Amino acid sequence: MKISNIQQVTMAKTLQLFAFLCVTFFVQHTLFAQGEALFKSKCSSCHQIHKNGTGPMLSGARQRWADAGEGDLIIKWVQNNAALRASGASKRAAAVFKEYGGSQMSIFTDLTDDQVNQILDYADAQPKDDPAKAGANGGAQDPNATQVTEEEEGGLGFIWIVLAVLFVVIILSVGGVRRQLKVATTGDEKYNELTYWEEFKTTAWKYRGLTGLVGLVLTIAVLVVVFKSLYSINVMENYQPSQPVAFPHSRHAGENGIDCKYCHNSVTKSKHAGLPSVNVCMNCHKQISGDGKPFAGEIKKIYAAAGWDTKFGPAGGYRNTKGKPLVWNKVHVLPDHVYFNHSQHVVVGGVDCKQCHGDMTQMKETAKVLPIEELNKVEGNIKLTKATLTMGWCIECHGAKEVTIGDGKNGYYDEIHSRLKKNKTLYKQYLANDGKLTANELGGWECAKCHY
Amino acid sequence: MEVTKKYWKGIEELNQTPEFKQLRDSEFPNQHAVEQFLVDDQLAESSSGRRDFLKFLGFSVAAATLAACEAPVTKVVPYVNKPEDVTPGVATWYASTYYDGLSYASILVKTREARPIFIKGNKDFGFTKGGTNPQIIASVLGLYDSERLNGVRAKGIDENISVDKADKAIVTALKAAKDIVVLSPTIISPSMNTAIAALEAAYAINGTSKVKRVQYDGISYGAIRKANEQNFGAAIIPSYDFSKAKTIVSVGADFLSTWLLSNEYAVQYGVNRVPGKGMSKHFQFESIMSITGSNADGRAQIKPSESANVLAYILKSIGGSTFVSSALSGESKKVADAAIAALKSSRNESLVVCGANNEAEQLLTNAINNQLKAYGTTIDLSNDVKLYQSNDKEASQLFDAIISGKGPDVLINLGANPVYTAANGEKLRKGLEGLTMYVSTARYADESSSVASYIIPDHHLLEGWNDFMPKAAHYAVAQPTIRTLGDTYAALESMLVWAGSAARNGKDSTVAYDAIKASASILGFPDFAMLTHNSCGAVNAPASAYTYKAVSSSATTKSGDWEVVFYQKTAIRDGAMSSNPWLQELPDPISKVTWDNYITMNPVQMEKMGFVTTYDQEHGLNMASVTVNGQKLTLPVYPQPGQAFNTVGIALGYGRGANGEAIGRGAYQTKEYGGYDLNEQGNRKAIGLNVFPFVSQVNALPAYSATAAIAKVDGEYLIAATQIHHTVMGRDSIVRETTLSTFLKGDKESFNPAHKLQRLNEHGHHEEAPLEEFDLWNAHPIEKVGHRWGMTIDLTSCIGCGSCLVACQAENNVPVVGKDEVRRGREMHWLRIDRYYASAEESSVGKKANKDDFSYSEAEIAAVNPAVVHMPLMCQHCNHAPCETVCPVAATTHSNEGLNQMTYNRCIGTRYCANNCPYKVRRFNWFNYPSYKKFTEVNPAQDDLGRMVLNPDVTVRTRGVMEKCSFCVQRIQSTKLTAKKEARPVIDGELATACSEACPTNAIVVGDWNDDRSAVKASSSDHRAYQALEEVGVKPNVWYKVKVRN
Repeated sequence: MKISNIQQVTMAKTLQLFAFLCVTFFVQHTLFAQGEALFKSKCSSCHQIHKNGTGPMLSGARQRWADAGEGDLIIKWVQNNAALRASGASKRAAAVFKEYGGSQMSIFTDLTDDQVNQILDYADAQPKDDPAKAGANGGAQDPNATQVTEEEEGGLGFIWIVLAVLFVVIILSVGGVRRQLKVATTGDEKYNELTYWEEFKTTAWKYRGLTGLVGLVLTIAVLVVVFKSLYSINVMENYQPSQPVAFPHSRHAGENGIDCKYCHNSVTKSKHAGLPSVNVCMNCHKQISGDGKPFAGEIKKIYAAAGWDTKFGPAGGYRNTKGKPLVWNKVHVLPDHVYFNHSQHVVVGGVDCKQCHGDMTQMKETAKVLPIEELNKVEGNIKLTKATLTMGWCIECHGAKEVTIGDGKNGYYDEIHSRLKKNKTLYKQYLANDGKLTANELGGWECAKCHY
Repeated sequence: MEVTKKYWKGIEELNQTPEFKQLRDSEFPNQHAVEQFLVDDQLAESSSGRRDFLKFLGFSVAAATLAACEAPVTKVVPYVNKPEDVTPGVATWYASTYYDGLSYASILVKTREARPIFIKGNKDFGFTKGGTNPQIIASVLGLYDSERLNGVRAKGIDENISVDKADKAIVTALKAAKDIVVLSPTIISPSMNTAIAALEAAYAINGTSKVKRVQYDGISYGAIRKANEQNFGAAIIPSYDFSKAKTIVSVGADFLSTWLLSNEYAVQYGVNRVPGKGMSKHFQFESIMSITGSNADGRAQIKPSESANVLAYILKSIGGSTFVSSALSGESKKVADAAIAALKSSRNESLVVCGANNEAEQLLTNAINNQLKAYGTTIDLSNDVKLYQSNDKEASQLFDAIISGKGPDVLINLGANPVYTAANGEKLRKGLEGLTMYVSTARYADESSSVASYIIPDHHLLEGWNDFMPKAAHYAVAQPTIRTLGDTYAALESMLVWAGSAARNGKDSTVAYDAIKASASILGFPDFAMLTHNSCGAVNAPASAYTYKAVSSSATTKSGDWEVVFYQKTAIRDGAMSSNPWLQELPDPISKVTWDNYITMNPVQMEKMGFVTTYDQEHGLNMASVTVNGQKLTLPVYPQPGQAFNTVGIALGYGRGANGEAIGRGAYQTKEYGGYDLNEQGNRKAIGLNVFPFVSQVNALPAYSATAAIAKVDGEYLIAATQIHHTVMGRDSIVRETTLSTFLKGDKESFNPAHKLQRLNEHGHHEEAPLEEFDLWNAHPIEKVGHRWGMTIDLTSCIGCGSCLVACQAENNVPVVGKDEVRRGREMHWLRIDRYYASAEESSVGKKANKDDFSYSEAEIAAVNPAVVHMPLMCQHCNHAPCETVCPVAATTHSNEGLNQMTYNRCIGTRYCANNCPYKVRRFNWFNYPSYKKFTEVNPAQDDLGRMVLNPDVTVRTRGVMEKCSFCVQRIQSTKLTAKKEARPVIDGELATACSEACPTNAIVVGDWNDDRSAVKASSSDHRAYQALEEVGVKPNVWYKVKVRN
C-alpha cells in the first residue's frame, strides 16, 4: 500500500499528538494514583474527601487556607502541624486545632511538599456525589446489601400438603367413577351400599399379600424418615435468622479483605469467637457512612448503637448518648453440657476459619458452620461424613486429624512426645491404626474433653 | 499406744444401733426416702389409675417431641465499647480485700463476663497469706441475694424513695439535732474515719461537735484490750504469730476457726504442723469440742469457770505468781503438766492464748506470755490489730438510753445490728422505733434497720471501693469487681454527703473512690494504680515501746453446777451471713449438723440424764431447756463426744429474722414441698434460736459463758446431720495416724505398713505378696504417658475448717438441697470432710481387737474425750474404678490422664455406680434442683439474681443423673490449653483445684504425677503416703498422708 506524503505528515502529527496526550494523561493519572495511594495510607483514617470527620474534609482545604491568607502554610501544616502551631505563624492552624477540640493531628515529616500537593490535588479532583442522584437511588435495593428475611417456615411443606390433598381427591373421585361404572355394568346395587372404608377393606383383603407388603414398606419408610428427622432436631443447617443489621460478610471479608480476626478478635483467646463490639465497627465506619448508597440505612443503625452523631461536632466527640448495644440472633447454640473452645482449635490446632465456616468472603449472611458436603469441598479439609455440629462430626474429625508432636515447635507437645517415647508399645499401638498420631490418641475422644 | 486407735464417726456407729447398721449396709437411706421422692403432696389424694398414667405418658411424649422441634432464639449482645480487660469466655481476676467486721483477708476475685463468681485467698500479698474461711469464700453468693435492699427505704412507705429526698430530710435533722450518734461496727477504714471526722466538724456548736461515735461489735474481744491496757498502757490487740511458736497452749480459744483473725492464724499454724523435728506442739483446754481442740496434740476438758485455774497453774509452774487458785486435778492436770513441760523446753518460742472475754483471765494469759518471753517473738504489740474495737460499755449506755426514750436526736447506724446481738435486743428495737431520726446504711432491712426512718443501703463488699487498716502497719484497699447491681450507695459517700463535703452522682459517683485515693496518698501510696494492683501495702506504724507491768485481778468466771458456753460455728459465726444457703448447708466440721443450732452435751452424761444419744432421718433428738439468769430456752440436745462434763454449748448466730425481717432468701425454714414455713404471725420462721439475749454483761463485758440449769423437756426434733451418712464400714485402712516419735524413727512399716495379700506360689505354698501384684483388670495406659493428675491430702495439716467444701460448691455449681433433704442423706456436696473420732484400743494398725463381733469394749469411756481426725474425701479417681465397670451406658469412663470422667448427658440414673463405689462419693440428682419448687427458697440457681453466681464452665446438672468430684476438670483442661497456646509444658503448681486453692494449711496438693519434678509426685512418694482402702485394689489417684500427732 502506498501512502502520500501529506498523509504521512498528517499521520505523524496525529501520532505525535496522540503520544503527547497519552503521556500527559499517563503522567496525570500516575500523579493522581500516587495522591490516592498516599491519601489512603496516610490520611483516610481521619479525613474524608467531602465530609468533616475526625479531621476536616480535604477537598477545598487548600482553598480554605488560601482564603485565610495562609495558602503557603498548608504544606507545613500537613507535614508538622505541632511545629506550625508552636511557631505561632499561622492563625488558621490555631483555629483548626481549636475547632477540633484540641485533638492533635499526626505528624507527617516524611511527606515531601510535592507529595502533600499530590494528596490535595487528588482530593480536589474527586467529584462530589450528586445528592439528588443519590436520593433517587436511595430507596432501591442494593444487590450487595443482604436483606436477610426469615425463611418462610414450611413453604415447601405447604406444597406437599396441597399435592397430597389433590392426590386424595383424585383417588376418591376415580374410586367414585369406578363404582358408578361397576353399578352401571353389573347392575348390582350392593356396591352403592358399601362405604368407602368397607370397600377398601374388601379390596385390601382380596390383595392381602400386596397390602401387607406395601404396609411393611410404608411402616419402615415412615420409621426411617422419623428417625432421620429426629437426628436433625436442633441441628438446623439452614438457620439464618434475621439480624438487627444486614451485615454482608462478602463485602467486609471479601471485597475489603478484612481479616476475620480483626472483628472476631477473641477467637484466639477465648472459647467464644466473639462478635465485634460497636466500637470496632466504628473504627472504619466513622469514615464510611455510605451516604447516598442504598445500604446507608444499615450503617445508620451502627451509628445509633454507638451513639455517633456528627452534629455534635468534633469537640463533643460526635457522641450524643451512651449508645445501645446491637442485639444479634445467635446462629449456633451448643447445649449447655458441651464445651467448645475456639482458641483451642484456631491457635493450637491451627484450624483456619474457613475449614468449618466455609469461604466467608463469598457469603453475604451470618457465619455459620456449613453442611458437611460443602465443608468437604473446602481445600485442605479432611473429608468427613457425619453431619456438622453433631457429636459424630467432632469425633470423626478428632479421629482423623493428625497432631504433630516432638517437632520442637510446641513445648507442650514436645514434653508429651518425650513421655510417650518412654512407652514404645503404646506409641506403636497409637500409630498402628492409621500410621499417625491423631487428636483422639491425645485425649480428643475422652468424654471430659468436652463434657463437664 | 500411738497406733492403736479405733475410729468411729458417731455414737450410732460406736453403739452399732440398728438404724446405723441399716444405713451402713445400704447405699441409700431406706424406703421412706423413696416414697418421699415419688409422692407429691397432691399425688397422694389423686385417683389417677394406670390407664390414666399411660395416657399422660403418651401425651407427654408427644408434647415433648413437638416442643423439642422448635429451638428458642438465643440472643448475643456484644458491648458497645468493650472494656480492654474483659474478654467473653475468659476469667478476669481482681486483687481485693475482704472485711465484714469479723473476718479480714486479702483476696482474689474471679469474674466471668464481669460477674464475680469465685473468691480465693491472695497468697502473694497481705498478711493473711492466702488464708480464708468458709464465710469469705461464700460471701460472693451474698452479692446475688435478691432480698438485699435495692433503693432507699423510708419508714412507713412501701416504695423506694429518691436518695436526694432522704438526704435532704437527714441533713435537716442533723442541723436541728442537739446530739448525733454514729453507731457502727468496728471501722478500720481510714477514709471512713475521715468522713466521720468531717461529719463531726460539720455539725458542731461553739466548736464542740454534736457528733458522738460508738463502735459496737456483735462479738466482743474487749477483755484482751482491757488487759493490755493494764499491762502495757494501751488498749490494743497484738499480732500473734503462731508460725513462730513451737508450743501453743490455748485455753478456750478457737483460734483456727472463730477467734480473732483465725484465717491468718490457720495459715501460720499450718507452717509448723509438718511432721519433723520442728513440728509444733499444741495443747487445748476447752469445754466444747472446737475445731482447734480437734487438732490439738493434748486436749483437756474444762468448765469455763476452770480456765482461770488452768492459767494460774501454768503461770505458777513456770515461775510466776498468781492470785487465783491454781488447784487442778485429774485429766486437766495431766495435760497441763505436759503443756508446762513443753512450754519450758521452748521458751521464746511459745504462745498462750485464752478465749474467755474475761479481763482477769486475759491478765493471767499476759503474765504467762511475759514469763515465756513471748512478747517480741510470738506476740507483736507494735503491729496491733485494729479490728474488734467494740466499746461495750459505751454501747450498752447508748442502748439503755434509747430503751428509756432518751436516745439521741439523730442516730446514724453504719451497719451494726444490736437488736439481734445485744442482750436486751427486743427492748432496743422498740426504743429505736421511737427515735425521731434513725438512719441506717444496712444492706438488708434487718432486725436493727427495719425500724429505721431511712435506710440508704450500702454496696455489697464486692461492689464498691473500700480501704482498710487492719493492723497498725498495714493498709489495704478493696476495689469493685462489678458495677452496682441495685440502687445502693457507699456508706462512705453517704457520710460525706451528709457532712456536706460531697455530692451524689448516681452509679457514676466517684466520691468514695476519690476519698480513698486521697487517704492512700496521705498514707504514702501516691501510685494508686499499683496499690490497687497489689491490694495492699505496708505503712509505718507509730513507733511505741511497751513494757510489761504486772497487774493482778481475781475477778474470774463464776462457777456453777452446770455451765453453758455460747460459741460460734465455723459457717454461721455471728449470724451476719445466715442468709447464705451455702453456709447453712455446710456441715459443722465437728458435729456435722446443718441448718440448725442445738445444745451440745457429752453423750455419756446424756445417757445418764435419759436423753437419746442416737438419731437418724426418722428419729429426732430430745429437747432440753436451759435456764440462764432466769431466762429459758429450749433446743434439741446433740451428743457431742469430747464435751466437758456438766457443760453445754449453744451456737450463736441463729434465729435471725425471727420477727419477719427480710434478711435474705436463705435464712428461713422451708416446708417439705417448698415455700417458707410461716409462724402464727404470718412471718417466716427463723432457723434455730437466737442465744445472744443470754449473753450477759459481766464487768461491762459480754461473757460468752454462764451458769445454767438444764432440764429435759418433752418433744423430739429431727436434725439434719451428715454424721452417719456415707459411713465407710469397719475398714481401718481409711485413716492412719501415728505419733511424732514413731514417725521420726523412720520405719515406714511401723506407722504406714504396706498392704499384703496371700497367694499361692508355684510350690503350692501360701506367701504374702504386695498389693500391686494382684489385678483384675488391665491397667489403663496412664503411667509415664501424657499426664496423670493426682492429689495428696495431708491428714496432719488438715484442720477440718470446711473452706474446701464451700470452694468446691462455688466452683462446681453444687446445688443446695435444704434441711429436709440433708436429713434424708441426699446432700450433694462433692467433697465431704469425714470426721473420725478415735480412741485407744489394744490392737495393731489395720487390725481390730476383735475382728468378728466388731464391738467396742470400752465404748462409753471412748466417747468422753476422743481424738479427732479430719479427712476430706472426694472421688478418688481410681484407675480401676468399680463404678466404671457397672455403668450400663458408659456414662462414667476413664481418661488417659487418670481421671474418672462423669458424662451427665449420657447418664440414665441407674445408680449402679454409686452402689459400687467403695468411698461413697457419688451423688444422685433426686430432683431437678434448679427448678423444682421444693428448692426455690434454698437453691441459688432458682433465683434470677442468684443464678449469676454459677460457673459458666460447669454444667448445671438435671434430675436423674449422677455427679461427683471431677478433679475440677474444667481447670485441668484450661490449664492444658494455656500451656498449649503458649507452647510450653504445664508448669507444676499451675493447676489448682478449688479445694487445694482454698486450703489455708496447704494440706491438699494437686499436680501431674507423671511429671517427675512435681510436688504431688514427691508428696505421694513420701513415707507417710497411703491410699484409702488400698486393699480393695482400685488404685486411686488420691493419696492420703498419715496423721502425725506430736
